[in-house]
Amino acid sequence: MPVDKFCRMLSIAIKMLLHNKTRSISTIVGITFAFFLSSAQVGLMVGWCNTCTAIIRHANVDVWVMADHTPAFDYGTPIPRQRLYQVRSVPGVAWAESMFMGWMFWRRPDGRVTNIELVGVDDGLVGAPWKMADQAVNVIFDPDSVIIDTLYQGQLGVERLGEEVEIGDRRAVVHGFSKDVRTLTAAPFVFTSVDAGVKYDLRYRADEITYVLARCESGVTPEQLRDAISAELHSGQVLTSTEFVWKTIRYWMLETGLGITVITTAVLGLVIGTVIIGQTLYSITNDHLPNYATLLAIGFGRGQLVCIVLIQAIVLGVIGIVIGSTILGRVSALSQTTPIPIETRPDVLGGIVIVLLGSCVVASLLSVRSIFRIDPVSVFRN
Amino acid sequence: MVSALTCQDLTKTYGRGALADRALGGVSLAFAHGESCMLLGPSGSGKTTLLSVLGCLLSPSSGVVEIAGRRVDYGSPRSLTRLRRSTLGFVFQHAQLLQFLTVQENLGIVAQNAGMQAKATSARLEQLLGQLGLSEYAHRKPGDLSGGQRQRVAIARALLHRPSIILADEPTAALDWENGQAAMRLLVDQAKADDALLIAVTHDTRLTPLFDRVILLESGKVSAA
Repeated sequence: MPVDKFCRMLSIAIKMLLHNKTRSISTIVGITFAFFLSSAQVGLMVGWCNTCTAIIRHANVDVWVMADHTPAFDYGTPIPRQRLYQVRSVPGVAWAESMFMGWMFWRRPDGRVTNIELVGVDDGLVGAPWKMADQAVNVIFDPDSVIIDTLYQGQLGVERLGEEVEIGDRRAVVHGFSKDVRTLTAAPFVFTSVDAGVKYDLRYRADEITYVLARCESGVTPEQLRDAISAELHSGQVLTSTEFVWKTIRYWMLETGLGITVITTAVLGLVIGTVIIGQTLYSITNDHLPNYATLLAIGFGRGQLVCIVLIQAIVLGVIGIVIGSTILGRVSALSQTTPIPIETRPDVLGGIVIVLLGSCVVASLLSVRSIFRIDPVSVFRN
Repeated sequence: MVSALTCQDLTKTYGRGALADRALGGVSLAFAHGESCMLLGPSGSGKTTLLSVLGCLLSPSSGVVEIAGRRVDYGSPRSLTRLRRSTLGFVFQHAQLLQFLTVQENLGIVAQNAGMQAKATSARLEQLLGQLGLSEYAHRKPGDLSGGQRQRVAIARALLHRPSIILADEPTAALDWENGQAAMRLLVDQAKADDALLIAVTHDTRLTPLFDRVILLESGKVSAA
């Protein structure tokens, strides 16, 4: 369609929408609601996926070795420390260290008890907090030292550095604050050394750990190293970092039903939005049927009328999405300082924009049917 | 000289079988350029159906329509749209202006759609609005105009792109006698000035003197022409 013809259609479409302000505004509100709801839900899900795999991703290793049937990072169980030495002996391994992970009771300074996920890191500090408030992360190796995140200070009852608490029945001293190390579960991550972690958790023997982390020599791929370590070990699970990330995401999002709930809400948002768009566009088109009949009679083709309806759908869609994304941007910025951030990734938002604009066009097809039923002779009968 | 419009044995039947209703029963007419014709007839005589068929809005059941010597292809919606866009002009009983556009925009879209150049459009617009006494209402919306003013805008819309055929359906029915007569006189004079054929349906026999020819339609057939 030539540009001038398109501009003409655009002008008619917009003026028609402005003539029906109430209907147009209700459509925009519907689209804004659908976009915000869907994007926020998907943003929450992306945020959760990032949160539940943060330690795996920030550890930046190639291969993880763990007990059989470990469903996710948070549910590691003891394996013999000997596994670490076995892994180090495998050709292709450039580096390997251990990690501890266990659920513990945290007794706050005021005596109240809460659950934590205790993470113990080895000498290389791999898996330690990646962002600290002020202190250096190696305070983790001070005697009885633990690092907690500023996001969970209130929950853990800690106001300042040096405060004493108990993990299990053993003394621990808060020597550092990390920043933005979130947990998907209600139990905050608390970091310590691997040796201290094993001591705190009485279910572990002194010669047990939770994970072995390994990096490849140059020229060896993570998959090759995974296969080589698997061949060397007779029990346990060996996964590349990417596999462990997806296994953890799959567990939290699918096996717990968390992701399904979020996806359902996002889809419902899109469906409700599409229905609202469809109904209001249909009403707007029906209100203007006599005008469309006049346009047909004075020489407009049905294709041009369909073009007007589609333009209306897209204009309303774009306005709704712009308003929705502005609100989402604000809410997302506010959520960054909370334990549940809404991640607004451009690719995710782009996908939702395409789906929603597609919904607008599909919804407008209902109205297009009315255009094809118009009898131009009706201009003589009205 | 080729006629502006001819129709030969035009029939139109609505419905089928026992419910079939024959609205046109073999109408044959020829119209010259610049001619003004009044189409008279009682309700249900087929006036609007004939106007719809001649206006390329409705397909006849049988028969042939020729515009400027070329047969109208009712099987091609595209060619019918093209004819309505450039060759035909319509004036409807209730003006049927687009309420969401100003007077100027209502006229402008017809000109743009007919492919008129912007300069020519604005000159023609100015001329017509002036002749029809609408200059000061160019930027008003139809809702802000009286019935007579709206009908004059509808006349301007029908004339703007200089169509060779103007079809008017009861253009004065919604107006009082004085306004109705003035509007019809305007329409006849303007059509004449553009050498356009005007076919106007009306019930008002007092308007007969304004026209070159009166066609009487009864039960779908021409009884006097």
